[in-house]
Amino acid sequence: MKQSKFNKIRMRETLVSYAFLAPALFFFCTFVLVPMIMGVVTSFFRYNMKGMTFIGFDNYVNMFKDQVWQKSLVNTVILVLGSVPITVMFALFVAALTYEKNPITRSFFRCVFFLPVVTGTVAVTVVWKWIYDPLNGILNWLLKSMNIIQKNIMWTGDKKFALWAILIILITTSVGQPIILYIASLGNVPKDYVEAAAVDGANDLQIFWKIKWPSLLPTTLYIVVITTINSFQCFSLIQLLTSGGPNYRTTTIMYYLYENAFKRFEYGYANAMGVVLALMIGLISFIQFKALGSDVEY
Amino acid sequence: MRKILSLGLAAALLTTTLAGCGGGSGTAETTAAPAATTAAAETKAAAPAETKAPEASGGAVEITWWAFPTFAQDSADTPAGTYEAEIIAAFEAKNPDVKVKLETIDFTSGPEKITAAIEAGTVCDVLFDAPGRIISYAQNGKLVNLNDMFTDEYVKDVGNDALLNSCKSDDGSYYMYPISTAAFCMAVSKQALEDAGAMDCINMEGDRVWTTEKFEEMLGKLSAAGYNGATVYCSGQGGDQGIRAFVTNIYDSQVTNDEVTEYTLNDEGGIKALTKIKEWVDAGYMLNGSAYNGGEDVDQFVAGNTAFTTLWSPGLASQRADTLAENGIEAIALPFPSEDGVPEMEYLVNGFCIFDNGDAARAEVSKKFIDFICNDEEWGPKNVVRTSVFPVRQSMGDLYPGEAEMQFYASLTKYYSPYYNTIKGFAEMRTYWFPMLQAVLNGDSTPEDAVNDFVTKANQSIVNAQ
Repeated sequence: MKQSKFNKIRMRETLVSYAFLAPALFFFCTFVLVPMIMGVVTSFFRYNMKGMTFIGFDNYVNMFKDQVWQKSLVNTVILVLGSVPITVMFALFVAALTYEKNPITRSFFRCVFFLPVVTGTVAVTVVWKWIYDPLNGILNWLLKSMNIIQKNIMWTGDKKFALWAILIILITTSVGQPIILYIASLGNVPKDYVEAAAVDGANDLQIFWKIKWPSLLPTTLYIVVITTINSFQCFSLIQLLTSGGPNYRTTTIMYYLYENAFKRFEYGYANAMGVVLALMIGLISFIQFKALGSDVEY
Repeated sequence: MRKILSLGLAAALLTTTLAGCGGGSGTAETTAAPAATTAAAETKAAAPAETKAPEASGGAVEITWWAFPTFAQDSADTPAGTYEAEIIAAFEAKNPDVKVKLETIDFTSGPEKITAAIEAGTVCDVLFDAPGRIISYAQNGKLVNLNDMFTDEYVKDVGNDALLNSCKSDDGSYYMYPISTAAFCMAVSKQALEDAGAMDCINMEGDRVWTTEKFEEMLGKLSAAGYNGATVYCSGQGGDQGIRAFVTNIYDSQVTNDEVTEYTLNDEGGIKALTKIKEWVDAGYMLNGSAYNGGEDVDQFVAGNTAFTTLWSPGLASQRADTLAENGIEAIALPFPSEDGVPEMEYLVNGFCIFDNGDAARAEVSKKFIDFICNDEEWGPKNVVRTSVFPVRQSMGDLYPGEAEMQFYASLTKYYSPYYNTIKGFAEMRTYWFPMLQAVLNGDSTPEDAVNDFVTKANQSIVNAQ
């Protein structure tokens, strides 16, 4: 009898819990889970405006043979490999320099570096477009004034510079949040440990690597994973600045996916790219969790 | 008690959340009101699910009209959609049983919104656009056949087979109802040419036709005087027809064959043209435009940074008139130079299509609305003028009396080339065009290899679209 009443109570509590979860679950299923499943399913179809025809793995086979997709993959990997380490190191550097400053200075630097994050990609891109403009851009003007270059450089249209020009913008828009997180995280490192290490004769470098860095690992893991995902999904910068050019030099997987879906109306092919991109991101995030997630405690 | 309260709260939360999700019926309809701002209109278009026109209510049929900013507004400060709202008000006054809901969309994100809406089943009833996209929707079975609007009287009045064919899909039926047309051309800065002593290179007589030889002479003089030539713009996708016409004209090539069944740009003239353009860019006569799209090329021209542009039309001349005046630039419109002095002009056709939303009543009302916009005695001519180009109906006569520049633009209609924007796979072909130019300008490929590769891919796009 007692067991039965206990089970009833548990059942009610479970129902209440699910009832609270229901709204979020509804939205998650409708706008995330179902589209994801549909994306996977339709990736096995020749799916365009005319309709759908089952073609098995043809989209995937064609994708791996597609030279533009291969170029996009290389460009995407370069952006990820370039942006993630630089973002982490730069954010850590800025945070380490500013977190012990007075609150006004600290807030000033937070604002400066967070500004590109809150400004919005379109506005940021418009400014960068002006900076990079081959005829009237301030960057060419500056470099010519300093006699570093003699002729204007077409930053986003020259095959030697275009991807790096994108990488710089990507980094500037990515460092804001990591800096804020590192400043907060460094502020939470117990002072007792730092002082104890100093009393024991540890120098600044040793204090950083032995005391502060281990406590920053959870934050670093988060930053690395989020920056990796954002870099893999780099799209708006490309769309607004280069449209993937010159000659696919800045085409990323996300941009190529968009081009196939919305300019060529090849939805199934685009979805196959989306599936592969998601798998790549999932795999790399898993490796990052394994590599950085195991050593977060003292 | 606490559990019951918790359950009640959860249920209330779920209900209010879901209620917030709906709300379409409670949204105030803005029939005949201007899309308050472009941004607002775009926001609506960005969420096509909310924009589906309700079915007839209270006896009135409601249709939705999505409009690109083709109609000029009263001034640059007037919000997009204001003039369109006036048309709707006039139409509704004559047809009180019809409600038209307007949404303005822009050329940058509009095409993607239409594609998404088509797939979501939330697309508009009436779209104001051009054949390139419209016929592609028709080829995919998304549009209502408009054959009954092309009466004998109308066809005779238009009297231009090339133009009429641009409104047909490959099944021979009409899917776009045209209102106005004009050739794309180029423009030079009179001040720059005078300063460079290059006015003798252009021809200001008659149809202003000129040769590639004279064009090259002009480039040399402009360069010697320190002026930048136009950008060979090849970023983005908009305005690609301008630079394509420039390429095909300078050595008398063609994008497709006359039957518009195959791409032929890799002929002798096409390869020669691309080689010459690369030479001009390398010599500094023209600028590598890998970082510029069509709109930005025009921006550079009206700002006085470049001496000419290969993307011009009466509409652009009208839209950019204030900026040109502010910068003290007089733009001279010219046809593209060609080896034989006889240009082949690509042209714009503005027109309407009706999406097949499975509601015959809405389709009929949409036809009525289109007919009003294009053929109403008062509004028809007025609407043509608002597109800044020329009526497709010859019976409308000269809508720009006394305007010499408009007479020149009108004269270019006789140089119209075969209209290939309705070819199957046109949308896919466009994605190969600028990468090909970029490959040539940046030295990734020889002009011959690049254009051969382009033609192979472009012809494959026709097969892909079957």
